[in-house]
Amino acid sequence: MNPVVTGVGFVTPIGNDRRTVELSLREGRHGIAPVEFLGNPELSVKVAGTVKGFSVDSPSWRDWSWPHGYDIPKEVLRGLAPHGLYAICSVEQALANAGLHPADIAEDPDTGLYCASAGSAMLLHHNLAQMRAVRGARGNPMGVVSSIAGTLNFNLAAHYRITGTVCGFVSACASSSHALGYAIDDLRLGRLRRAIVVGAEELNADSLLPFAHMRALSKQADPRLASRPFDAGRDGFVGAAGAVALLIETPEAASRRGAIPMASAAGWGQAADGHSVAAPHPEGAGLLLAMERALADAGTTPAGIDHVSAHATSTPVGDTAEAVALRRLFASRGLRPTVGATKGLTGHGLSVSGVMQAAFSVLSIAGGFVPGNPHLGAADPQCDGLELPRSTLARAPSRVLSNSSGFGGSNVCHVICAP
Amino acid sequence: MATTPPTAPNPALARFPADVLEAFQRYRAKGDADAVEAVVIAAVIDYRPSSSRPAAAVTDATRLVEELEYDSVAVAELVFFLEDLFDVTLSNDDLAGVRTIADLRACVTCKLAVKARTA
Repeated sequence: MNPVVTGVGFVTPIGNDRRTVELSLREGRHGIAPVEFLGNPELSVKVAGTVKGFSVDSPSWRDWSWPHGYDIPKEVLRGLAPHGLYAICSVEQALANAGLHPADIAEDPDTGLYCASAGSAMLLHHNLAQMRAVRGARGNPMGVVSSIAGTLNFNLAAHYRITGTVCGFVSACASSSHALGYAIDDLRLGRLRRAIVVGAEELNADSLLPFAHMRALSKQADPRLASRPFDAGRDGFVGAAGAVALLIETPEAASRRGAIPMASAAGWGQAADGHSVAAPHPEGAGLLLAMERALADAGTTPAGIDHVSAHATSTPVGDTAEAVALRRLFASRGLRPTVGATKGLTGHGLSVSGVMQAAFSVLSIAGGFVPGNPHLGAADPQCDGLELPRSTLARAPSRVLSNSSGFGGSNVCHVICAP
Repeated sequence: MATTPPTAPNPALARFPADVLEAFQRYRAKGDADAVEAVVIAAVIDYRPSSSRPAAAVTDATRLVEELEYDSVAVAELVFFLEDLFDVTLSNDDLAGVRTIADLRACVTCKLAVKARTA
């Protein structure tokens, strides 16, 4: 049994609703904008994939604003980090898209919640600084639940009154692919009939600058040059914020309520590099095995894949590792599925990355298009043998392989196919 | 702590109506106890849970938990706000007997009086 996707929700640099995101993907419209952190124009980070229409720079939720149409009580807001607000907005969309009301999932033991987030470094820092300023005498009572890495699952579980599975994943840039994978397994095992999968990240000095200190970020000020996965001149990733939610159901549950599936979650696989805390295996060994396992789980072969949604973040080392693994899986067999790296348009949303690519793949299958690589100039010679279209192709892929890799060498791949 | 002129509006009050800002300035300028009452009532209304639907107008006698549906987190948020605003410390013992807005206001004014004496 393969679960079906019946709802998607987006708060992303390229749009805050399904229609806008799809249009941005079709037209190759990026969401990367100039940024300045801590009032320091000398910092090397010049651009980021910013979420528009929200104002969440303040550590106090009382200062926040967000688009109309989301009614979020203050008892919920006070426990949220900025990315928790994004997450709720994306889940609201996914539920509506699936034809569900929050009351339909409240206290339903057959609905689970699978979250991915790195927590809120900004709130953690702010709350602990406040505590230290008074030598431990007091602190924000919601400091823990709003800032540690489980903040999404704590808050969303309470807000939506989830009584099935509630869990969170912390495998960095592979974490929301892990969330989707384990949600799929729980549905397949008959433990649940419906799951919400959501990844979210915020973007501020505390969340992003530490990556600059790892020399992982692009120093380019031109968005088209800053995020250009697989380009020979790429110099690092562009940070991004947002939240993406998927609503998946067993086919029986979807059909019983007359929901129309957009795509099917056909299989997934994971494998680790066993190599480095931060860098990928130079030949993408773990990623290759994860792709092979995902294909096997989906009951297909490399020949059955007609598009790859690459993890490619635009870092020199990471993109090379993925290119080598893709060549080995496809080009070595004479296969040339199209390969697209949507981070050229969005930047890299870290914990959101996996579920964002899965949701983009759903749009691609349902909407009949293949996103290209509009920022790609001269491709890295390591990509020889890979099919990297520059612009969007007007054809519906039947089976997409969506890749994720995270710190510690976690690699998680999904196969998404037409329902 | 002489960095703020006595009549400067406090940024923490930015979201409050003009009459509350004016009351706070009156307290800062003259130590007016009635002004403290206006600010405390405004803060209690601002921090009350969104589910709270008080039957009657909020007055000095309104009870925080029973009528305004305050929970322990909302109480903590309100207390922190008042502590920061008036630069006082309200301990758990100070708050143990607080039931109504009047109790809370008395607690704040008592602390302010102690602070004024020791300043």
